[in-house]
Amino acid sequence: MQNSQRRANRAIFLAVAAGFLMLGVAAVAVVWAYQRSQDYGQLVSHTIEVEAAVADLNRLNERIEAARRGFLLEDDPRFLETFEKTAAQIPVQIERISELTSDNPDQVARLSRFRTLTDRYLGLLRESVADKQAGGTGVKAQSLLDEEDITVVQQLRDLSDEMSIAERRLLIAREAAEHRSVYVSTIVAGVAGCLFVLVAVGTIWATRRTLRALTTTGIQLQGLNEDLESAVAERTAELQRANAEIQRFAYIVSHDLRSPLVNVMGFTAELDAAIKPLGELIDRVEEAAPDLVEEETKFAVREDLPEAIGFIRTSTEKMDRLINAILRLSREGRRVLALEAVDMNALAVSVVDSLQHRIDELGVTVETEPVPTVVTDRLAVEQIVSNLVENALKYLKPDRPGRITIRGRKTGGRVIVEIEDNGRGIDPKDHERIFDLFRRSGAQDQPGEGIGLAHVRALAYRLGGTISCESSLDQGATFSLSLPMALAPQQGAQT
Amino acid sequence: MSAHQTVNIVMIEDDEGHARLIEKNIRRAGVNNAIRHFLEGTAALKYLFDAPDGPARNGPALVLLDLNLPDMSGIDILQKMKAPDSPLRRTPVVVLTTTDDKVEIERCYDLGANVYITKPVNYETFAQAIRQLGLFLSVIQVPDPEAD
Repeated sequence: MQNSQRRANRAIFLAVAAGFLMLGVAAVAVVWAYQRSQDYGQLVSHTIEVEAAVADLNRLNERIEAARRGFLLEDDPRFLETFEKTAAQIPVQIERISELTSDNPDQVARLSRFRTLTDRYLGLLRESVADKQAGGTGVKAQSLLDEEDITVVQQLRDLSDEMSIAERRLLIAREAAEHRSVYVSTIVAGVAGCLFVLVAVGTIWATRRTLRALTTTGIQLQGLNEDLESAVAERTAELQRANAEIQRFAYIVSHDLRSPLVNVMGFTAELDAAIKPLGELIDRVEEAAPDLVEEETKFAVREDLPEAIGFIRTSTEKMDRLINAILRLSREGRRVLALEAVDMNALAVSVVDSLQHRIDELGVTVETEPVPTVVTDRLAVEQIVSNLVENALKYLKPDRPGRITIRGRKTGGRVIVEIEDNGRGIDPKDHERIFDLFRRSGAQDQPGEGIGLAHVRALAYRLGGTISCESSLDQGATFSLSLPMALAPQQGAQT
Repeated sequence: MSAHQTVNIVMIEDDEGHARLIEKNIRRAGVNNAIRHFLEGTAALKYLFDAPDGPARNGPALVLLDLNLPDMSGIDILQKMKAPDSPLRRTPVVVLTTTDDKVEIERCYDLGANVYITKPVNYETFAQAIRQLGLFLSVIQVPDPEAD
């Protein structure tokens, strides 16, 4: 699904890129063709210009010939005037043609021949005019038609025709090339245009399809999102239900366990009370008739019974304490948390103050470093800190002066409260176990039921926090309480 | 406690040991009234309301009520006794139970319980509490049940 989608996306991208490329090619082709046709127009007008110039030159040649002939026939100075004017114009016209055809070596060669011929022609004509002015006929040959200048003029005419034809031929060749290139570029533009249209249509189709798919995906995603939300809500409700169930279970169990315990203790007390008259009876009988009392009976009444009752009593008392602990834990779970901004520094000081008597007694140094403020349940945090400090006091190492440090820091959205001591430490294998109910670690030389840390952990969880321990034997211990900086109200709701 | 007619003590308690300990300690306080003991709610209700020698028909009584009964909650019994048309609505009810849940205590008083006592788990305190209850029982006045 994902792969094919990626492939389709790549195809669409390539198609769009190709479309733009086609558009570019078509544009270049069109511009090129346009420029070509413009070039062609220029060439045509150039050729026409050259032809016109050549024709003009021919006309001037004709005119000068006519002026000379007129002068030879009739000695009128106006002919001479025309002759001179035209003779002055001819080199100018030749110069113009030379400028126009400077890019064509053939034409340049022709023109230079033309120039030489013209010079000669003009020379011949001048000679003839000068001869006439001097009083001659102005004609060296038999007839005017046999004069040398006639052949020169013929040559000039041929040359100018040649030049025109060359120019025409050039034009035709250029025209053909021009047409070909315009034709090619038109085809290129046409093909590119067609491809562009195809790609455009394809791209529009693909884009529409993708958009439709995107809309569908969006709707699906929204649906999934809603599902997820309801799933989370459901799961949360389930967890809350399960938690409530456990709390209720703990409460009922501890309650129902207490009932038989009252009987055990009650009837033990009755037994205890019964020992007294029984002991007195034994005493009296022993006094009155020592034979009647066997050693065994005396021992049973004076030793065995009190001992048994003592054990029953201490055991039931212990059981009572354990049940009370469970009850307290379950009650703690049912208590509604009251969230407030708790000044942890003041809290630490108050905890230390409440334990000041024992701190002085044991000669312990307690340091409190700044702890960030936390929005949470004051009572619960106080119980946690108090419990941890009490533990630190309880498990000091007797051969070195005790030192306890309370400090705190912020990391991310959480506040870490650390309670460090230099006491006897905890074996790393027990780091998890110590948080279990009724479990303890190390030498059992201190009173306690293994409830404190279990309680601490339950409270920490309740506050959305965690508690961990870092320690090794004889190296002191550091307990780290990680709490959310601000407990969300629904987390603190009664579960 | 008994001026002209003997007040019967009806004890509804599912734990026989508790019942025995309660009875013993009440007796130690010098209370000699008859004690009828029921282990479950159905029989107790039947006695309370229908028995010819029961409190509804015959003479004043005082009820010691445990809330955790096998067949019903003591609250149900309390509710029936304290209902507005019940002949036993004035009969004193002492709730004697292990529960010290605040809500439960409030509920019992709301329903008309006269005294609510939590059974202490520590036996010494338990015995003491029952003895004090016995002393209390020996001085309170109990009304006659409503004449039918």
